[in-house]
Amino acid sequence: MRAALLIARKDLRLRLRDRSLIIWGILAPLLLSTIFSFVFNPLSQDDFHADFVLVDADRGPLADSFRQLLAELEDDGLATIRAVDSEVEARRQVEAGSEAFASGDADTADAALVIPEGFSQAVLSGGGGQLTVLGSRSAQLSAQVAYSVASGFAAELHAVNVALHTAFSPEEVDPLRTAELAEQAQSTPNPISVEDITASTRQLDSTTQMTAGMGVFFLFFTVQFGVSGLLEERRLGTMSRLLAAPIGRTPVILGKALTSFVLGVFSLTVLIVATTILLGADWGNPLGVGLLVMAGVFAAMGILAVVASVVRTQDQAGSLGAIISLVLGFLGGTFFPVSQVGGLLSSLSLLTPHAWFMRGLGDLAGGDVVAVLPSVAALLAFGLVTSAVSWVFLRRAVVR
Amino acid sequence: MKALFIARTSLRRLMRERSNIFFVFILPMLLILVFGAAFGGGLQPRIGVVTADAGPLGEELVGLMEATEGITVKAVEERDTLVTAVERGQLEAGLVIPEEYDRSLRGGGQAVLDFVARPDPTAQALRNSVDAAVAQQGALLRAAAFAAAQGTVGFSEALETAAQVDEAAPVVGVRQEALGEPFSLDRLGQFDLGAYSELLLFVFLTSLTGSTALIQSRQFGVSRRMLSTPTPVRTVLLGEALGRLGVALVQGLFIMLGSALVFGVDWGDPLAAATILVVFSLGASATGMLMGAVFKNDQQAGGIAVVLGLGLAALGGAMVPLAVMKEFAPTLWRVAHLTPHAWGIEAFEEIIIRDGGLADILLELAILLAFAAVVFTLATWRLRVTLTRA
Repeated sequence: MRAALLIARKDLRLRLRDRSLIIWGILAPLLLSTIFSFVFNPLSQDDFHADFVLVDADRGPLADSFRQLLAELEDDGLATIRAVDSEVEARRQVEAGSEAFASGDADTADAALVIPEGFSQAVLSGGGGQLTVLGSRSAQLSAQVAYSVASGFAAELHAVNVALHTAFSPEEVDPLRTAELAEQAQSTPNPISVEDITASTRQLDSTTQMTAGMGVFFLFFTVQFGVSGLLEERRLGTMSRLLAAPIGRTPVILGKALTSFVLGVFSLTVLIVATTILLGADWGNPLGVGLLVMAGVFAAMGILAVVASVVRTQDQAGSLGAIISLVLGFLGGTFFPVSQVGGLLSSLSLLTPHAWFMRGLGDLAGGDVVAVLPSVAALLAFGLVTSAVSWVFLRRAVVR
Repeated sequence: MKALFIARTSLRRLMRERSNIFFVFILPMLLILVFGAAFGGGLQPRIGVVTADAGPLGEELVGLMEATEGITVKAVEERDTLVTAVERGQLEAGLVIPEEYDRSLRGGGQAVLDFVARPDPTAQALRNSVDAAVAQQGALLRAAAFAAAQGTVGFSEALETAAQVDEAAPVVGVRQEALGEPFSLDRLGQFDLGAYSELLLFVFLTSLTGSTALIQSRQFGVSRRMLSTPTPVRTVLLGEALGRLGVALVQGLFIMLGSALVFGVDWGDPLAAATILVVFSLGASATGMLMGAVFKNDQQAGGIAVVLGLGLAALGGAMVPLAVMKEFAPTLWRVAHLTPHAWGIEAFEEIIIRDGGLADILLELAILLAFAAVVFTLATWRLRVTLTRA
């Protein structure tokens, strides 16, 4: 054990003097996280807002009700409603909406709602009516909201008509009571109600997502430095000298493993602190993060140890390690949120330690420390299995 | 010609390293595939629905939601799965239709739907669609309840009458019309956006990481030996430049032809597309040469190459699409145009989305050429200094 510690200490001193480690382990993830959060942050769609225009050619009581409905939408902050004089103008503004940036025109809209002349009179006397929604093809969600609001309103009016016609045949309805009955029909509640259940957010905010992704991605390169140290010793010829000492092969491997572990934890810790201070990233409860970091480093070590045990030279280890780190990192959602994409990709991502690391952080964001345990367990499993496999091969590799 | 010979050696060095085959050829194609498959179909907000034993009315409600344009409805087996999916961001919102939904409503009773969402404005838009569907389905039920309240008829009978009346009654409805052009990126084929984004990203990145080969040449003394032969310095410089350019063009052509063949990517006018590739590669290889001239340690240079290559690509609109930046983050969009990537993307979008030709992309090509010229001048000057130093 003491021999292993000595070997580790020697290696760490060598490594920490190497600027490559600082670049790959700290600078690269930090710089890329900064750039990515600069690029991706303004686009995290936390703001849904629609611009609607309203054409009221009717000016009757129903138009008033509709305008009230739209005002509620405005109060909720979901949309801005502007009144325009004619359908022609409304059309122009919606069409201009899709080239808004190019023309710099402020009078554009995502959708237009048109109440035709005579609407109130027609509907209130039991006839039909039609509202028009003009939607912009380049603002589909907003157009859809406009359509939903209008059709909800129309459905309500239609419902009242149907109610009256269901309860009474046309001759039965007393014209003096129509308004009263209509009101009664309208106030009959919908037996279906919708209750809001607020779900907690088990997802990282955009900045933390970027930094965590870059952190775990570059972790594999950092750990690579430590693991390929074994191959480097062989190349430099110092391996035989190590083995000449009465210590056996185990301490040599353990020493290298310890180096990788310390390097990995160290670089991730520096990254976590730096991004928290510089970028405002919120990694979560330190204990939970610590557990994930250690388990993640262990998983990375195991995988890269397998790589080191199947190749012959340090260069090969570097290349193969880079390929595997890239594929796993990519599948695991370090470059883009795989879970949001769904489908096969999302399922495949669970085969990577990267995905479990990110998932652990996400769960931590939505809960307490206990929430990281499933991910920690998964990462430990990755580490154990790969370490066991590599142990067999490494012992054979550690020769003079 | 000696310069060509030097260039050819660079290419052979590249090809001989088998891991390069992965990074230079396979990885870009993989990324194009994944991006096209994942994002190429357009991102609509997704709502999950749990309908275990909800009956015909439950199915009708789901049908109403599926008929709503602009949202995607996904069936989910259980409530817990639904809640977790919403929490993790795999769904924007969820709707739970309870068991006995159909039965309680038909019996004149009530039903409660649970709408699961995070405090998120996009979920609000989905809630709108749910409300509309609920209103539509509830209309008949309310009519029946009203009629029953008048005392003339029972609920179930009234419900049947209401259904008939609904068919016959004059409709109060909404006419929908779509105007204007769809969002520029929606006009692209599924894999197109990924293809030109990844092309620019990788050609630039490979040129940068290829600088390590140049650094190694210097480290191993190969460059010095080249200069000890009766070869003028400018030939060596030209050879190196052609080498970088050759690698970039080989990679670029492979990606363009490969993606066109395998994914059916439309690159627009072939002459224009090829020109964009050549001009962009000039800038990329010049930058690679500059890096190869400036840095002394190939491992450090490799790390910086990755940061610079990915960083510039992100800023230039190769990750978050340039058009999306233009729509939502105009300042970022302006900054993006400091990178060659943004101009490459503008050129490609002109010829792919708007069917332009060479004449339409003259500005973009001019800017890319200017970039290449400036960096190339710097690179040759720097490399000459480094190589001829004792």
